[in-house]
Amino acid sequence: MLPFAPMPDSQPAVTVKRVVLGLSGGSADPLVVRLGCQLVRGQRAELIGVHVVEVDWSHDLSEDISSGNELAAAILDHAEGAAEDFGATLQTSLLQARHPGAALVDEAVALGADIIVLGLPYRTRFGGDFAIGRTVPYVFQNAPCRVLVAREQMPVENRPLAPLGDRVGASA
Amino acid sequence: MNGPGDPPRDPPQRPAGLIGRKPGDRRVRVDRPRAAYFRYEGPGVLVARAKASEPTTPLGKTLARIRRGLLGRPLASEEEIGERLSKRKALAIFSSDAISSSAYATEEILRVLVLAGAAALTFSLGIAIAIAIMLAVVSTSYRQIGYAYPNGGGAYAVGKANLGRYAALIAAAALLVDYIMTVAVSTSSGVEQITSALPSLSPFNIEIGVLAVGIITLGNLRGIRESGNLFAIPTYLFVGSALLMVVLGVVRIVFQGAGGPPPNPLPAAPVHDTVATVGVLLLLRAFAAGSVALTGTEAIANGVTAFKPRPSEAHNAAQTLTAMAVLLAVLFVGITFVAHHFGVVAVDDPATGKVQQTVVAQVASLVYGPDSPGFYLFQVFTALILFLAANTSFNAFPRLAAILAQDGYMPRHFAFRGDRLAFTLGILLLGGISAGVLLLFRGETTALIPLYSVGVFVSFTISQGGMVRHWRATREAGWRKRMGINAVGCALTGVVSVVVLVAKSPESLLVAVIIPTLVALMLFIHHEYESQAQELEVRPDAVIGPPHREERVVIPVPGLTRAVVTAVNFGRSISDNVVCVHITDDLEAGERVRARFERQLPGVPVVIVESPFRSLVNPFVAYLDVTYTDPSVVTIVVLPEYVGRHWWDRVLYNQVTNRLRQALVGRPHTVIATIPYRRGS
Repeated sequence: MLPFAPMPDSQPAVTVKRVVLGLSGGSADPLVVRLGCQLVRGQRAELIGVHVVEVDWSHDLSEDISSGNELAAAILDHAEGAAEDFGATLQTSLLQARHPGAALVDEAVALGADIIVLGLPYRTRFGGDFAIGRTVPYVFQNAPCRVLVAREQMPVENRPLAPLGDRVGASA
Repeated sequence: MNGPGDPPRDPPQRPAGLIGRKPGDRRVRVDRPRAAYFRYEGPGVLVARAKASEPTTPLGKTLARIRRGLLGRPLASEEEIGERLSKRKALAIFSSDAISSSAYATEEILRVLVLAGAAALTFSLGIAIAIAIMLAVVSTSYRQIGYAYPNGGGAYAVGKANLGRYAALIAAAALLVDYIMTVAVSTSSGVEQITSALPSLSPFNIEIGVLAVGIITLGNLRGIRESGNLFAIPTYLFVGSALLMVVLGVVRIVFQGAGGPPPNPLPAAPVHDTVATVGVLLLLRAFAAGSVALTGTEAIANGVTAFKPRPSEAHNAAQTLTAMAVLLAVLFVGITFVAHHFGVVAVDDPATGKVQQTVVAQVASLVYGPDSPGFYLFQVFTALILFLAANTSFNAFPRLAAILAQDGYMPRHFAFRGDRLAFTLGILLLGGISAGVLLLFRGETTALIPLYSVGVFVSFTISQGGMVRHWRATREAGWRKRMGINAVGCALTGVVSVVVLVAKSPESLLVAVIIPTLVALMLFIHHEYESQAQELEVRPDAVIGPPHREERVVIPVPGLTRAVVTAVNFGRSISDNVVCVHITDDLEAGERVRARFERQLPGVPVVIVESPFRSLVNPFVAYLDVTYTDPSVVTIVVLPEYVGRHWWDRVLYNQVTNRLRQALVGRPHTVIATIPYRRGS
């Protein structure tokens, strides 16, 4: 069961040849895969899932820290399986980089992607402000192609109240 | 990227970083060699991809390519089609066997009656009606099975649940025989429909039949699904054209007074000439011959799960079963009625003795006009539905064999699905035996008929009897009425089983021998599996401790080579007690080998066994026998093996190793370890 409501099946609104999906391993990944599959449906377009393992400065960038990493394999393999469920083929690419946003943009440019699709789990910082992270803003600012961000549904308790006049039982 | 079976990879080199668009941005692509072969499914769980199942040797790859060309690409288990069938599609899919029998059932009745002369032919209609009544009883009984066993109520399942394993195995054996006969009879009859339209092909009827079985076998190995449209079209074309033929024939007979007497003289030499001399036995034989019309009635009850679930699978199956029985009865009685009034009898070629024109072809010729497009189309449709009926057995036989294999009554290989999700071994066995039966009986339907339908009625009887026990045990609402229906069905089919067996004797007695033989064979297989399971069982409460038996390693060595060094090092890694044995007919050469071992592999004792008779294997085995008699010591024989690169290397190397391995397999307290040495390693 997917953790979101099904989207209406529709013809693609844009013509694409290559779509890069940014897969973080978070709860928004299924949404990203589904969105990517809908974008390429009916088109001869490639779907490439990219997961970037962030390497901190205590390790050399070329040090192999992710080839035996089960988590990275799980993220890409699960995305591939989800794409198959939607009838699409997802190629996968595993990267190591200091900055996931920069690596994603550079990879998308190298692959000649038309669109980058990212997922954004709804997360608040210490229960307060909505935390957008640093990858999405970086990709927004630097990607030369189009960028789609699918944000997860907001939990009910965090939803803003409707304007006063719209509330049921509000008096004039 | 390397796969299983490929040489080990070199240590991974550190990948060079890719430069990003901004200064300082770098990224490294990480190679995932496992990803091509396995998909991560969860902690400790990997799912093999298609590439992991691909052969790695050039010969294996070539064979796989040929197989893919013939059978198609391998299918994953999850690709199995779980489509539910509408009643219309299900009728076409499950009924082709039953409905197609109307194409030859009338002919079989007439072939028996014609022996008593023209007057006896008048009984054909009465016999057809009697068989239709029996069809009504059997189909009503099977409707109940569908309701009681919505998960599929094959005679084996019903018998196993209610009557015990012996009855179930008799039903299973009877069904297996009958599935084979269905293929043979349907194919031969289909070929006869072709040769009726194109008599010039008549001399090749065996070849055409075997070819047809081969094509159906190949198609099933490719995993032909009984997909609705593909199967529905020929079935409905036959039903439509046959109904039209019956209606046109009846209209001509009733309103236009068409018809005529049988040919005079009759094609078969009459033994009697009057109705008064038509004995009961002859009528029973005609009845038994025509009862082939009932074959395939059980198919719907076996496949209840394939129906749509609304309002219920059993309800939809019951309605479809009724529709099938009505269609079959109308076609069978209708064709018999028209054939009788037109004076049609089976005609054989006097020169070859083979069928010249089938009864149904003659009826079509009279109704649609000889050499008319309608006649040829009808013949094509009839041949198609008959081949389709043969195909239904290719679905049922392997499934029953698989169920029997799962229950331990057939070799386990029958339960394994091939690359295309088909039960490959069952399909091949059915194709092979059916083709053999066709060859044996020269592709003649009439010659095959005595062996047919005996098994069907035995399985009918067992399943109905099982249902009587079922209703008595469950006492569900309306159980008395339901039990009564099944009891009538059981009694009737039981009587018919005996009638068919007796009336079709002596040929039918062959089936009466085959069925118990098969049951005995299945019981033997089950006994073997049970014994093996008991022997290998680990008690659930047993806690297995570490090994405590002493181990000795014995390595047969032809000399000192790299392969031997690898084997000796392996042996030394598992035990301190390692002995190399050199068998030779030249003692001096043996001493040179020992000296070399002492010099280059110090600490490894070498025993020289002189073999004046130049035998290598037996002296080595004898050496093991006389030196290691303590059963508490496990002897590990380490065999060095040189692994070549080409298929011809198998001929050039390792002959002695292979012979040693064969000689040692099964030796008590002995483990054989083959240590491969790859060229270049």
